[in-house]
Amino acid sequence: MLTVALPKGALLKDSIRLFQAAGLDFSAFLDSSNRLLQITDPTGVAQALLVRTHDVPVYVEYGQAQLGVAGYDVLKEKKPNVAQVRNLGFGFCRMSVAVKASSPYRSAMELPPHSRVASKFVHCARDYFDQLDLPVEIIPLYGSVELGPITGMSEAIVDLVSTGRTLKDNGLVELEVLYESTARLIAHPLSYRLNTDGLRDWIGRLDGAIALSRS
Amino acid sequence: MIYQPPTGARDLLPIDVAQKRWIEHRLQDVFQRWSYHHIITPTLERLDTLMAGGAVRPETVIQVWDAEEGFLGLRPELTASIARAAATRMVGAIYPQRLYYMANIFRRQLSEQTHGQHEFYQAGVELLGAGGAAADAEIILMLADALTHVGLERWHLVLGDAGLTRSLLWDFPKPLRTKVRAAIARLDRVELETLPLDPALQERALSLMDLRGEPLEVLQQVSQWTLDDHQRTAVQHLKSVVELLAGHPSVTLDLSLIQTFDYYTGLVFEVVSDSLSGQRVLGQGGRYDQLLGLYHPQAQMIPGIGFSLNVQNLQQVLLGALPQHLPVSNCLVAADSVGAVAAAFRHARQMRVSDASMRVEVELEMRSPSETRTYAQHRNIPQIAWVDAAGSVTIETVFLT
Repeated sequence: MLTVALPKGALLKDSIRLFQAAGLDFSAFLDSSNRLLQITDPTGVAQALLVRTHDVPVYVEYGQAQLGVAGYDVLKEKKPNVAQVRNLGFGFCRMSVAVKASSPYRSAMELPPHSRVASKFVHCARDYFDQLDLPVEIIPLYGSVELGPITGMSEAIVDLVSTGRTLKDNGLVELEVLYESTARLIAHPLSYRLNTDGLRDWIGRLDGAIALSRS
Repeated sequence: MIYQPPTGARDLLPIDVAQKRWIEHRLQDVFQRWSYHHIITPTLERLDTLMAGGAVRPETVIQVWDAEEGFLGLRPELTASIARAAATRMVGAIYPQRLYYMANIFRRQLSEQTHGQHEFYQAGVELLGAGGAAADAEIILMLADALTHVGLERWHLVLGDAGLTRSLLWDFPKPLRTKVRAAIARLDRVELETLPLDPALQERALSLMDLRGEPLEVLQQVSQWTLDDHQRTAVQHLKSVVELLAGHPSVTLDLSLIQTFDYYTGLVFEVVSDSLSGQRVLGQGGRYDQLLGLYHPQAQMIPGIGFSLNVQNLQQVLLGALPQHLPVSNCLVAADSVGAVAAAFRHARQMRVSDASMRVEVELEMRSPSETRTYAQHRNIPQIAWVDAAGSVTIETVFLT
């Protein structure tokens, strides 16, 4: 049976809407009383797994799910061996470098060498500063990265920004945008090559749904 | 202090070995019946030997420094070693040469998430000096034979043609070609869509990425593209190979099946298992018509094609069909006194000589008769041979529950 890995959090609603338009109803995940992590759609043709955003590519890479929805930010950070099949357009955000509004630095290049940079996205941060040829110390955090500069633990952060509100409320300013991210439809490479469980047809139906949502 | 093997290394305990050998014996049986000969090459090679083909990245090789030899590497695959051996040590050999190997290989896993194992076991073949469609078909048919012989019922074959796909990529402007190739190899359609290509070329890249399916249909599709003579010959060659494979259960022709770095020049393929726990690659192979030339002293081109199977992956997929128990002893020979031990060893030897398939163990602990029976029962040994100092033997059948 086709299995889809869906991300908890910000991308869930749009993902469910997309699959609904393609004929697969996983809206039970949106029900606040739902505690199930694995559900079958009412027509019984496909099932969905509800997993954390960073775990979506893991389930897809290992083939436990043939399809999944993952942010480009996660794919760029984890570099999983999955096929990036479609750009879904939703979940727009950007990966940015930010510092305290009161800090003297107005570009990433101005940061002094060996400064500390806090981030959940350590590989992205590492790659970016390597490209700038600026040696920095990356401090891995799991959340509330904004506290890094506020407490003085780090000079800067590398984090996802969608509206910029969290940064602003916490007295931080954005210096650089590393890249922009949207949600991607990803597929297990072998299933994609072998058209397992009629994957090609499902992607075709999702294409219809994507076109519809953009028109 | 607990002594652990290094990350990625593992011990194979007797039952693991029994299962591994079960698979290897069956594979070897097939290889030999196709007239292939066993070749053994060194575990350590000079780094430049391993890298010559351009398919191995140095950071994936476990390296060893030797003061006189310089950098050596633990082989990450066998094809480079066999190509080197054939091109330099088998000069004047009559071709084709049919060779097979059963060996361990070593790889450094680069991914941060998977602290995967560093030592793997491979069984594979290399067919050297034969370049036609028949040679391609021999390799695939033997692979099918080998998988049937180990009892694998459901599997898929994904076929590609690295030479044809590479030549189709020549249409793309040079600065973007590697990016297009990498995106196709990774099945990254989103990346292809964002590359700054002319609309016509972009269209072409996207259709190249989705050029897969039932072999003859795909070949039909490609034939409609504007192809040069070389490409037309390659398509015709693929068609002959596919026709020779007629009747094979599940073949997908996939012209996007390429690697970012490899030495393949023609047919490439992957075998994929279809088990409940998901699909995984059991083995892969391809044609490498330029590799031997790199090792040959006069750069003589000798065509080659081969495949390798990952024995551990086969073991995991076949698990239920593999031996679940170690073989037990057929007989326990027990001396009835200290003075009878020599006679017991003599009798055990006689039993082993008279029947080569007999597993005979000698009771070493001078246990009492009742303890000896209990031991035999625990070990599932069906028979005890009691031997006295004079060498006379009493056979007792053990009551096994």
